[in-house]
Amino acid sequence: MSAPELVTLTIDDREVQVPKGTGLVETAMHAGIEIPVFCYEPRLGPPVGACRMCLVEVEGMPKLQAGCTMTAQDGMVVRTAQTSEQAARGQNATLEFILVNHPLDCPVCDKGGECPLQDLTFRWGPGSTRMTFPKRTFQKPIPISPTISLDRERCILCYRCTRFSEAVAEDGQLVAVNRGALSMITTFEDEPYRAPFSGNVTELCPVGALLPTQYRFEARPWEIQNVPTVCQLCPVGCNVQVTTREGKVKRVLSRNHPEVDEGWLCDKGRFAFTHLYAPDRITEPLRRRRRRGLDPISWDEALDDAERLLRAARGRVVVALSGSETVEQAYALGRLVREGLGSHTAVLPEETDASVGAFRLPLSAIRDAELVVVVGDDPVVERAPIVDLWIKAARRNGAEVVTHGPAGTVQTAPGTAAQTCAELAGEGSELGARLRAAERAILVWSGPGGNGGAEIAALAAKLGFAAKPGSGAFHLPATPNAQGVAEAWAAASDGEAETPEQIGLLLVSGDEAAADPNVRALAERAESVIAVTMFQGLAVGWADLVLPATSYLERDGTTVNLEGRLQRLRRAAIPPGPDELGWIAKLAERFGVAVSPYPARVFEELSPTLYGGLPYSDVGEVAPLRGRSEVPPPRPHDAPEPPRPSDGHYLNLVRYRALFSGPAVERVPELQFQRPAPEVELSLDDAQRRGISTGDEVEVRSNGTSATLRARVSRRLLAGVVRIADEHARDLHARVEVTKP
Amino acid sequence: MPESERMRIVLAGTEDGADLTKIAAYRGAGGYAALEKARALEPQAVLEELLAANVRGRGGAGFPMGRKASFLAKGTGKPTYLVVNADESEPGTFKDREIMFRVPHRLIEGCLITAHAIGSQNVFIYIRGEYLHEFETIRAALDEARAADLLGGVTIVLHRGAGAYICGEETALLESLEGKRGQPRSKPPFPAVSGVYAAPTLINNVETISTVPAIVERGGAWYASLGVDNSAGTRVFSLSGNVARGGNYELPLGTTLRELIYEIGGGIPGGRELKAVIPGGSSVPVLTPDQIDTPLDFDSMAQAGSMLGSGAVIVIDDRCCMVQLGLRVAQFYMHESCGKCTPCREGTRWMVQILKKIEDGRATQGELDLLLDVCDRILGKCLCPLGDAAAMPVASYVDKFRDEFQEHVDHGACPYGGESSLDRVFAPVDQHAHSPVADEVPA
Repeated sequence: MSAPELVTLTIDDREVQVPKGTGLVETAMHAGIEIPVFCYEPRLGPPVGACRMCLVEVEGMPKLQAGCTMTAQDGMVVRTAQTSEQAARGQNATLEFILVNHPLDCPVCDKGGECPLQDLTFRWGPGSTRMTFPKRTFQKPIPISPTISLDRERCILCYRCTRFSEAVAEDGQLVAVNRGALSMITTFEDEPYRAPFSGNVTELCPVGALLPTQYRFEARPWEIQNVPTVCQLCPVGCNVQVTTREGKVKRVLSRNHPEVDEGWLCDKGRFAFTHLYAPDRITEPLRRRRRRGLDPISWDEALDDAERLLRAARGRVVVALSGSETVEQAYALGRLVREGLGSHTAVLPEETDASVGAFRLPLSAIRDAELVVVVGDDPVVERAPIVDLWIKAARRNGAEVVTHGPAGTVQTAPGTAAQTCAELAGEGSELGARLRAAERAILVWSGPGGNGGAEIAALAAKLGFAAKPGSGAFHLPATPNAQGVAEAWAAASDGEAETPEQIGLLLVSGDEAAADPNVRALAERAESVIAVTMFQGLAVGWADLVLPATSYLERDGTTVNLEGRLQRLRRAAIPPGPDELGWIAKLAERFGVAVSPYPARVFEELSPTLYGGLPYSDVGEVAPLRGRSEVPPPRPHDAPEPPRPSDGHYLNLVRYRALFSGPAVERVPELQFQRPAPEVELSLDDAQRRGISTGDEVEVRSNGTSATLRARVSRRLLAGVVRIADEHARDLHARVEVTKP
Repeated sequence: MPESERMRIVLAGTEDGADLTKIAAYRGAGGYAALEKARALEPQAVLEELLAANVRGRGGAGFPMGRKASFLAKGTGKPTYLVVNADESEPGTFKDREIMFRVPHRLIEGCLITAHAIGSQNVFIYIRGEYLHEFETIRAALDEARAADLLGGVTIVLHRGAGAYICGEETALLESLEGKRGQPRSKPPFPAVSGVYAAPTLINNVETISTVPAIVERGGAWYASLGVDNSAGTRVFSLSGNVARGGNYELPLGTTLRELIYEIGGGIPGGRELKAVIPGGSSVPVLTPDQIDTPLDFDSMAQAGSMLGSGAVIVIDDRCCMVQLGLRVAQFYMHESCGKCTPCREGTRWMVQILKKIEDGRATQGELDLLLDVCDRILGKCLCPLGDAAAMPVASYVDKFRDEFQEHVDHGACPYGGESSLDRVFAPVDQHAHSPVADEVPA
């Protein structure tokens, strides 16, 4: 790319040089001058010039101009309110008009103290009001969803929220109705705002009009602390700011990492934090009493128990990892079990493959792509929500987006993503040829199955992506730190894994593992089980010893997201008991293994092996992305057998793990409305053949199991396939019959 | 000036009483000859004529049409659109309406010639929702033109608005046309670069487009010779208010207000006195009786401190209370404000509140000054001209009739005793509303 043309202009008598086309607000900022704004937000698309807060005087133009809608031109002479009386009067006028109907209820407004309207009024606005008439009133606050409330009186109609809904999330649910002074924000058809990214509007709102219900009357800005950390509820690892008051987490805000999340956050990451305070949270160790009973015990007793169980297993220990542990936890656990006990077997919910690291790119590269190809059975938004926003941004930028899946733009049978990759790599594929030709092409694997990373990396290698810095591949794993955990476990020892015939002890590390049916199946074969989990519900009935787990919000350490970016977790809240690293260190001591209980020390120990000796303090608040790794040699592997095609009577069940599911979401009352409806998605073809229409109650049966669900007919779904969210599909088999009773 | 000497360029050939809504009659009167002539010419040649004619936009802003057309972005790979603004909504203005129901083919012919000149295959006519009869007339005429094979591959789409004044603003019109909320866009980019569907778009008023056939037929130079300097051609003036013979009159630009009101319009009935004239629709500053020798052209009106606007001349006699007039104007703009930008949305409502208080005789001296300050704080600070359209006239009423406003404050009552008549001047705003406008200002 050639260097952009520079232009020189004058703002408030300061000369400033910026690339041509830079917005005036940014240009002024470059010169150290603030042009105040309300409606301007570059992430929401082109400026709209609605609020009129950014009025500036531009030489040669008779009227004041909205600075946000202008771009820097050579020789321009601009005066902001700092040096232009006219501009200052204009801004004062705008603020007076905004406040004419604003209730000024700052003392009871949650936004008070961190409110742009308040701040700008103090700096630029009138000191008192000349408005003596009755103000406009509305019913308030109105819950537009269980998580967000709307106060229309406070709304200044900057249209940031509706623009987000229309042009970023593309859910189109938040709209403006009426006109003039009666204009107001509402949801389409007055339905609840049910969309995966709805919470972002509470942060975009420059006043206290859209507020999270969870934070209502919970804290004031001068009594809170904000901790910069990373969300660990999906593999994206969005950067977040966690607000705490008196040691308790009160809310989660986005923290703009321009390469990862661009400051957006999904509702799971934003609102699921209250699982920390779930009534069934385990705060002390528990010992099994008879079949389903659990007795609280002291930590000393718990460590004794654990030591006894570990010794009794005589090396036949299997560790079920969650993929949500920190790198340090996984490493410490590896040291304890592998070095101390000589047991090297661990299972992860989903295997990951490091080969995709050879095609590493920041997520933001998706936005700049010409061609995005997604393969896999799962909708991207359910696996890694922010990736869906990046793909939408790419489409808005003119990129072609092709999705292969049972409901993709190219309909493919479930479980055939590997075959799709093979076809794309072949000579005959037209799309493959375009992928090869494109300068900036992106591949995304969004589906279950352990081999996704290897498959997509192999495809990228064959398409010549290694030589194209703008092209890359992403694998969307099922868990937040799958790669970091796998790497750390591997680095902990050199011993070879040998799966024991008989499992002496199953150590279940974390909630994802505890909720995994495969892990439950392993437990059947284990003589004893130690479960590390946060919630009573996941511990009852199978664990001999339960150790309280911590949440990502209570941990310090590092984590690796789906890009391969090493990011730093910071403890926002103090866990109710010792954290994992603490008791692992204590326990390791008893087996003659020296492990530090401090994440910084553990990191320093593993960093030379895994992260090139990077110091802990250099992981950074806005972490950089590592360079690409070496292109791995092609490895022969067998593609999994795709399921038999449907015979018309039996249909192939595709199940997916919904974004709004899992132990944390289940414990947040405000998020229940976001959970997937008890629905079965049917293709138009299959529905018509069975006389089923949307809304009908149908029975889904497989050999020996059945479920009654509501039908939803989809024109996009491939015939012969039904789709059900995991939590409703439960123990249905892969081939089902659907009938209308 | 006698009736027969009026210019007949836009409202052409109506004297023999032929029904020009029918294509045969229109052709009989020489219609569609210009189209044939234009199509034989290179598009650039037609554009040259339009440039030479120096016809300024008849919608209100008065931007030269030929120049606007020459700004159209070329080589974008997108189609070029022609959009006709038939959303005539300015109070006092009813000229486009008459063009559409009297000579619809003239508009269609103008569309087709202009489309040829700018190389467009796609024409939208965005017609005010309330103009049902005009819509049906145009539709019938369009069917005839289509049947007569005159469209030549051009698609003309009639689109009815849904009753919003703001959709007469060109970018709000384009938003509405795209199916979005009718709110103005920030400019630049101008429609010539990024208009409807982000494609280059020429957007002109009905009257402007309807002048095109005559320009092509008789040449741009001929057209430019009509009227006065910098205001070429004729204009259809909508004369209304307290005048004997209201109606649409097509006159050369530069005709004085006095000629229009007294000679053509027959003066003020009932022996009453002229109090004020609004020369270009409700949004322009008012003129006083001593200014009625001002010629009706763009520059003279600007010199007189007002604007030619939409060419709607509203005559106000001595029964009228200027505070009531201001209130009614402000109510209209409050009701029609789209709600996008702050000063217009909040300012118009505040203006209404203050004006109401003044009219009721409850206002203090400070509030009269406040009214002027609120107007000043709206002026020139809005996203589109609607805010100015509310603030400019009201400020001019206070400016020119300060004593009358002062009397309301001093005597604690309207000196017209509430009997003041706005009869025939502006319709009450409630007529525009689905619900009474009073509801918008909760007591």
